[in-house]
Amino acid sequence: MFVEYKLFFWTDDDIMQQQSAIQAEEAGKIPFVGMILVLLLQEPLSSLAAEYKSGNPILLEKIKVLTEQYAAIRRTRGDGNCFFRSFMFTYLEHILESQDRTEVDRITVNVEQCRKTLLSLGYAEFTFEDFFALFLEQLESVLSGNEASISHEELVQRSRDQSVSDYVVMFFRFITSGEIRKRSEFYEPFVQGLTNTSVEQFCKSSVEPMGEESDHVHITALSDTLGVPIRVVYLDRSCDDKGSFSVNHHDFIPVVRDLTNTNSDDAEAIKPFISLLYRPGHYDILYPK
Amino acid sequence: MTSPSASSRKALSKIACNRLQKELVEWQVNPPTGFKHKVTDNLQRWVIEVNGAPGTLYAGETYQLQVDFPEHYPMEAPQVIFVPPAPLHPHIYSNGHICLDILYDSWSPAMTVSSICISILSMLSSSPVKQRPADNDRYVKNCKNGRSPKETRWWFHDDKV
Repeated sequence: MFVEYKLFFWTDDDIMQQQSAIQAEEAGKIPFVGMILVLLLQEPLSSLAAEYKSGNPILLEKIKVLTEQYAAIRRTRGDGNCFFRSFMFTYLEHILESQDRTEVDRITVNVEQCRKTLLSLGYAEFTFEDFFALFLEQLESVLSGNEASISHEELVQRSRDQSVSDYVVMFFRFITSGEIRKRSEFYEPFVQGLTNTSVEQFCKSSVEPMGEESDHVHITALSDTLGVPIRVVYLDRSCDDKGSFSVNHHDFIPVVRDLTNTNSDDAEAIKPFISLLYRPGHYDILYPK
Repeated sequence: MTSPSASSRKALSKIACNRLQKELVEWQVNPPTGFKHKVTDNLQRWVIEVNGAPGTLYAGETYQLQVDFPEHYPMEAPQVIFVPPAPLHPHIYSNGHICLDILYDSWSPAMTVSSICISILSMLSSSPVKQRPADNDRYVKNCKNGRSPKETRWWFHDDKV
């Protein structure tokens, strides 16, 4: 059954982002180029407080606490892909800045494992190979010393170019889906709690299509399959009955499945270098001090 | 944000071209049962013959699907319609438009022409009655000038058929 014809169809998120982008432009902070970019410039965390000026006092207090630990925020478009897009940018930015080749070698092995997982689940290779290739290309390009090496500015531009960015987001959707389906017994109760559907149906309708929002299940699976820890900081109005509050965060720490790899370095390895700010329905990138 | 020109035809991107060539090879090696791709030199529009499955209401009937691929396939869904006369089915409009979530909101690049065909045949096969959607006339009347079904906001209310 049809509902109506969509001509200029905007979601509430688009409109809200549009409005906050216009406000930011008026404040002279963000260049507004007529459309909403998928990834904005880094802003000092004070811009977050400005957003809630005259807003909820609990939020303002929590932002004050956040300001002690985090220096900056980078906003992403609220298009349902914000978690994956934030992860993509922060991960590649981390590699660009750290030039950590050991980490690149490690993740490359995991990506190869993901490829095998998808094949064993019955995915046709031609459906996902272009997405894998594009991610590996981006990974290569943030390492210096080769012909394809790019600067930080180029990384920002590429992450805004949807013909690159959306493909990398889709790569993450493929491997997240593969991980959930591979460990469907583990994920089933979580999926049931969220949607009351089967794991397979959940992956088909809530993981693989672009624009579907991410939940704990997606984050856990992506973190596990790539072996990358992720910190999510929650900013909401919650407080206890006495009115006191704390800024909560949750670290998604990948399970170490290969016990032969367990050594003293692991304590260091499980410290997340990716921090995301979660406000109900949306993820942005946080930069620790 | 979908622009009104979503149905206007832009040439396939390089990635889309590559992908479609791979899908075509895969189809030739392993075509879905009940379907026949009518070979043309047009990679961007596939015409596919559908045979109703034996033992269903559509057994012995043959229909044609027209699949048009957008510039950014597979990131964007293909446009899939029945070439009229379309099968009588509670989710298929007389102008050939199909109310099926995977063709719109639930499309994903993990799907293929072949997997779409299988879903459409399964939708046909599970129908208990040969009839048009209740809002057929209103919908078709409003769909003048070859409007694409991708510009419709669908409501997928029935998961039984």
